[in-house]
Amino acid sequence: MLFSLIKKELMMEFRSKQIILSMLFFGLAIILIFALSSNVSRVILTNYAPGMFWLMNLFIIVLGVHRSFAYEKDFDAFSILISNPIDRGLIFIAKWVSGFLFISVTQFVIFVPFFKLLLLEFPENTLLFLSTTLFINIAIMAVANLISGIVLRSKFSEILLPLLLFPLLSPIAIAATKISNSVISLQPFAMWNEWFLIIASIIVIFGLAGYALFDYVVEE
Amino acid sequence: MKLFFQNKKNLILLIIVSILFIVNLINIIFFTPMIADQHWAQKIFYVHVPSAWVGFLGYFIVMISGFMLLIKNDIKWDDTALAAAEIGTFFMALVLITGPIWAKPIWGTTWIWEPRLTTTLILFLYYMGYFMFRSFGGNIERIRRQAAVLGIIAFINVPIIFLSVQFWDPEIQSHPQVEMANQPPEILYSFLFSLLVFTLMFILMLKYKAYLINLKNLLNENV
Repeated sequence: MLFSLIKKELMMEFRSKQIILSMLFFGLAIILIFALSSNVSRVILTNYAPGMFWLMNLFIIVLGVHRSFAYEKDFDAFSILISNPIDRGLIFIAKWVSGFLFISVTQFVIFVPFFKLLLLEFPENTLLFLSTTLFINIAIMAVANLISGIVLRSKFSEILLPLLLFPLLSPIAIAATKISNSVISLQPFAMWNEWFLIIASIIVIFGLAGYALFDYVVEE
Repeated sequence: MKLFFQNKKNLILLIIVSILFIVNLINIIFFTPMIADQHWAQKIFYVHVPSAWVGFLGYFIVMISGFMLLIKNDIKWDDTALAAAEIGTFFMALVLITGPIWAKPIWGTTWIWEPRLTTTLILFLYYMGYFMFRSFGGNIERIRRQAAVLGIIAFINVPIIFLSVQFWDPEIQSHPQVEMANQPPEILYSFLFSLLVFTLMFILMLKYKAYLINLKNLLNENV
């Protein structure tokens, strides 16, 4: 059942391409603004790069996650989905997995323009940078999907989502920036392992909370 | 339906809390000793720390009430959660106001990203979203369940927020409240007394607010 739900999410995106494309172009627009509004030396910009990278990611994630759940509003598809005799926790996991894939694909594409347009050097260990980014995405999507599921059927859900999500994501934002900064400056794992553990604990806590509580969140 | 303060127990609690609050205030202003390098600024801690304590207590009650609502499906737990969230946020706002007032003369700046203050600010902002979520309306049954989930995940996130802010900049000096236990008895006892008064005040406010919310629900049902 889980695979069918994930397949449904991927098929919807494959047909419309709304989520990835909107995140991608929004991300590019943010990079443009960053580049034009930060006319400072490359040293300063390099120091701020990890923070800017994750700030851009948080903005595009809000857009993507909102879109992913807004699909379900059309023709009241979400009510039809939850009226099926399936474990609702699986709907959360399917959204989590698909959201993770969408944001990861977008980040992999946007990674190059981010460093090129801001005239920054690519991280020396690009593979490690991207792997840690993937790991952080898992945590972000766990929190974002749970909150998005809650605000989905509210009025002004597009306002409520960032209002509730950003404070909850603040520990991830700190940890993500620290991890990316450490990877870029080639620090050994021992220097940033506590951040890794914070991300891991968020994945476990919000993964379990999302699976257990999603039933109450989506019930009519 | 009996009015809240027509109930004898509530009236007695109100009188006790009012007397203790005045005694606490007089004690803080006139009888607590001055600390050499802090002077009057130190006295704000008799309000700041108890406010933080009841603020977090309020959010803890929101979490417990959230669990109870999901398990028992009894609306009274939602009334308690909403009352605790409102009062908790009021005290958190007080923490955010009194913190900078103390910090300016002591640290030389109104704001430092100190773990407790930062955690308070994050929770305060989150609960602003929580209230908006509740006030924007929708199916009331669903809103209650979802608000319960929001209250639960807010509190389970507190240790993570605290740890991440602490790791973020370990150089930042911690709050002096940590050293409260090492203070002379006249400071420690005054502090503990203030803590007790604020806790009693919180209980009274919680009961009263829950009563008002219940009254509002009854009104809405009968309209």
